[in-house]
Amino acid sequence: MSATTAAATRRPPPWRDVRVLRVAFQALFLLVVVSLVLFLLDNMVFNLRRLGIETGFGFLDQPAGFAIPDSDFRSSQSVQDAILQGARTTLVVALTGIALATVLGIVVGVARLSPNWLVRRAAALYVESFRNVPVLLIIIFLYLAVFLRLPPIGRAIEWVDVFVLSNRGLVVPSLAATGSTGPFLAVVALALAAAAAAWIWRTRRFDATGQPHHRVLWALGVVAAIVAVGFLATGRPYGLSLPERGDLGVAHGFRLGPEYSALLFGLVLYTASHIAEIVRGSILAVSRGQAEAADALGLSPFQRLRLVVLPQAFRIMIPPLANQYLNLTKNSSLGIAISVYEVTKVTRVSIAQGSPAPQAIAILMLIYLVISLSIALVTNLVNRRLALP
Amino acid sequence: MSVLESAAQEPLPLPDPPRRRLGPRAWARENLFSGPVNTAVTIVFGLLLAWVLYRIGRFVLVDARWEIIQRNIENLLVFRYPRDELWRLWGALFVLAAGFGLAAGIGSRGAAHATALTALRRAAPMLVLVGVLLAFAGSLQATLLVAAIAATAVAARALGTRLPLRGRLAPAIGLASLLGAYLLVAHFGGVGWEDWGGFHLTIFLAVGGIVLSFPLGVLLALGRRSRLPAVRWVCIAYIELIRGVPLITILFMGAFMLGFFLPEGIETPSAVTRALVAITIFTSAYVAEIVRGGLQSVPRGQVEAAQALGLSTLKTTRLIVLPQALRAVIPATVGQFISLFKDTSLVFIVGLTELLGVAEAITKQPDFLAQGLLVETLLFAAFVYWAGSYWMSRESQRLERRLGVGER
Amino acid sequence: MRVWRLIGLATLATAALLLASGCSLGDDDDDDGGEAAATTGATTTGGSDGGGGNLLSTVQSRGTLNCGVNEAVPGFGFVSQGGDFEGFDIDYCKVVAAAVLGDAEAVEYKPLTAEQRFTALQSGEIDVLIRNTTRTASRDGSEGATFLTTTFYDGQGMMVRADSDYQELEDMAGATICVLSGTTTELNLESQFQARGVEYTPLAFEDNDPLQQAFTAERCDGWTSDKSQLAGIRSNWPDAQGGPDGLRILDVTMSKEPLGPVVRDGDSNWASAVDWAIIATLQAEEFDISSENIDEALESDDPEVRRFLGQPVEGEAFDPGLGLEPDYAVEVIRSVGNYEEIYNRNVGPDSALGLERNLNALWTDGGLHYPPPYR
Repeated sequence: MSATTAAATRRPPPWRDVRVLRVAFQALFLLVVVSLVLFLLDNMVFNLRRLGIETGFGFLDQPAGFAIPDSDFRSSQSVQDAILQGARTTLVVALTGIALATVLGIVVGVARLSPNWLVRRAAALYVESFRNVPVLLIIIFLYLAVFLRLPPIGRAIEWVDVFVLSNRGLVVPSLAATGSTGPFLAVVALALAAAAAAWIWRTRRFDATGQPHHRVLWALGVVAAIVAVGFLATGRPYGLSLPERGDLGVAHGFRLGPEYSALLFGLVLYTASHIAEIVRGSILAVSRGQAEAADALGLSPFQRLRLVVLPQAFRIMIPPLANQYLNLTKNSSLGIAISVYEVTKVTRVSIAQGSPAPQAIAILMLIYLVISLSIALVTNLVNRRLALP
Repeated sequence: MSVLESAAQEPLPLPDPPRRRLGPRAWARENLFSGPVNTAVTIVFGLLLAWVLYRIGRFVLVDARWEIIQRNIENLLVFRYPRDELWRLWGALFVLAAGFGLAAGIGSRGAAHATALTALRRAAPMLVLVGVLLAFAGSLQATLLVAAIAATAVAARALGTRLPLRGRLAPAIGLASLLGAYLLVAHFGGVGWEDWGGFHLTIFLAVGGIVLSFPLGVLLALGRRSRLPAVRWVCIAYIELIRGVPLITILFMGAFMLGFFLPEGIETPSAVTRALVAITIFTSAYVAEIVRGGLQSVPRGQVEAAQALGLSTLKTTRLIVLPQALRAVIPATVGQFISLFKDTSLVFIVGLTELLGVAEAITKQPDFLAQGLLVETLLFAAFVYWAGSYWMSRESQRLERRLGVGER
Repeated sequence: MRVWRLIGLATLATAALLLASGCSLGDDDDDDGGEAAATTGATTTGGSDGGGGNLLSTVQSRGTLNCGVNEAVPGFGFVSQGGDFEGFDIDYCKVVAAAVLGDAEAVEYKPLTAEQRFTALQSGEIDVLIRNTTRTASRDGSEGATFLTTTFYDGQGMMVRADSDYQELEDMAGATICVLSGTTTELNLESQFQARGVEYTPLAFEDNDPLQQAFTAERCDGWTSDKSQLAGIRSNWPDAQGGPDGLRILDVTMSKEPLGPVVRDGDSNWASAVDWAIIATLQAEEFDISSENIDEALESDDPEVRRFLGQPVEGEAFDPGLGLEPDYAVEVIRSVGNYEEIYNRNVGPDSALGLERNLNALWTDGGLHYPPPYR
């Protein structure tokens, strides 16, 4: 046994052993964090008990006591149902907003690079104006200065039973479900499945033979054919609900209220201005060689955009776009300022009517976390699919 | 002269490439009327744009009643700050002008001198904002004071370029002037931040938020990259939790719950403090992500070279990695500050009267009640936010170009 | 060297986390020059029996009263042109300050929204909430609040445009009603309309500003709130919109709204002290003592009056053990006045609101105010 082997196998004392220190440090760190959290929670529970406020989640089963307009929610239903109704509204606003903002953002972003000077300038004006103003201000301004200024219901703008426009909302005809709506929807689901099958078949045929696939036309044709057959077979699956103007409002039809519109359009206008910048940056980031090659191949500018530049730009713009989608979702909480009953407003009202604040806000944050993480997950999947191998 | 000798002389200077100078008609033909589609678009758009601009112009210049802004300009800027202590705010502006001018001068030593025209173009949005504010204030004293402040800033900058101080002192001088301004306004007989309001409160929340959240954000970013799983997961949990929820929920948490978390015997903080804590917690998560991007952008070769030189991990982080990382994230941080500046409008929902809150409150005064003047006040508030944001984003783009950091 | 890095990171991390958990970033050294700092007092309650508490001594040692108020309700709590708080509720803040601190002006007014008011009270940010707050069972129970003597008996009403022909709530089927969010008004609106089986659409705003805009733009057909608030709004209605005659308050009382000061649960000493400060104003009116004749009243021979004013009766001044000065009522009456003066000054028939006493008269005049005997 030589001295060196003895030295190599002897471990350093614990206070100099990195592995021991690492574990010890992490244990200490966790101890500090956990004890801090427990300290805060302990204080909270103590203070709540001292004031006689409940510390559990039993408040969720209490009747809400407030009604939610534009929905079927009645005040006798539970707080839990109210929060779910609010969450539903938030989701609808978020998803609709994301769709509209993306479309508008891409249009304006492309317009920023248009060869027409006027269009370029107008797009730049829009982007620079809306990007630099707080979104809350845009929403409140739209509501108070635009939507409330529409004519009151007594002087509403009507057009032959088709739409009614007033400061109580825009009402358009809607589809009313009848008895045979259920079977019809089943037929529609069948049609969509068949269209997907047709799409895959045509793509496979294209891969095998190289003949043009026209898969979009084929899919649409399949859907149209099956839906038409189903429509005739089930009689009248949908009735038409036409708006009827009364003194106080419009009965029937589908109503887009001024508060909801102000929130939606405010979010869309603001987020689209950011998306336009991202789109412009992504298009500029696609190497100029691609555009020149497309020109050399004789593609028209529109074809160049659609077939060469945009697909490559999409890959670049997905992560910042995802960020904007998350921002839009979180900004939907600003409906609280103009009486849109999304989940933040519902939580706020229920706190004022007696629900304990810490638990209610915790649930609120959890709901937003779930929605945010879902959107992040979907965009991550898309990003990975589009990434270069 | 021999061939070799002539070749050894300086090559003739190349002429500049010919610049395309189109006459107005040729320019219009190319940009506006180059084809049938383009012409149609130009005509339609032109008419639409002209109509929109006409309506807006007519409203702003003719129909709108700006009297409410004129009478309330002090309220909009400082709300309830005692009017006989306003000299403190003016003094603070002087201190900030001197400090930031000096810092800008030190930082730009050696850079090419800008012409007066470019300097004016850079400052244009700020000048427009100040001009509008002075027009509404209509006070000669205010105009003279503003001119004096501008002169101080310019003089300080000129002084800074001449002083033999190290460039690293520039941020320190900036922070020192911020501290000095704060002390002047809040202490020594001044009014504490619980009673601030209006645009003053907006600036305070934005600047305070970013200054307080930056150290926390850097720590979180370093923690997230730590090799110790406990530290890393705690930091990830914090960052993802805070980034996943809207600012308004954190503001609610601060407004409704902060008092419950504190043990008894500790006084509940004021509303402004609670909002500032909420803003700091919120911004620190975003700053952490920004700094993390910066840390990732430092090439591994730097760390390896530092290790080869025998620097400890702490020294490497402090001397090699962090300076490069922070330099890289300056544009993104300015972008976050601009976002924060706009997001301070949300504290209106938890009852603080910053610029948006004052814009709503002054329409309740007996002289202006129920006359629909919210349009004018909201437009004014929007203009102030717009001018500040636009100016800062232009400065940030300039900074980006100067630092040579490309960002998509 | 790794050891140092770890230790250094540990210290920094701990410091950062303590900072992040928001431990008292409060305002401490802003007391220079006599500026009233916005410090607040939290009750240091003893056990969980809810009886102990020393907010009274905390307030007395602090020297100012933190009063949660309204800043935009004409007649009750608003900011005058000169920047001062005025109103019925503001005067009662002064009453409490006069009784507890001996100085009616030693008040720090904290304007609160309807939704913040109870959390501000619960967390100790304010000592007393005097903000036209209705007493209800659930607020007594689950909001951690203790309601004191009612100062104003109000009712919820409905205001409509004068040119609409609503007379009863049943006429308003299908109407849109504007209401302030987070108030009992919202709950009462729901239950009243449900009881009548009438459909309606509520529009609940956080703030009165967008609400007023919506009502002016005819977005909603009715505005429901406490009748006293509606009267105040109506009195200030601009002539461009038809002036006060352009609006009409329906002759319907939708609920009982007893308004009064509120303190936090768990401190009965403080609650009694504030309560009897309020009662003093009612008792003063009953004895016909006002700020004008307080000095003569001090010389009165009536033992009831002398006891009430804390003057010696047979050598000793009566001290009920509330923790207040025996002659606290004198300061209250002298600096603020009795109930009649407070009422008439702020909401009375000759003020902008023009409200008759009705239910708010003394029991001797057919109203509901019945001060307990001071003995």
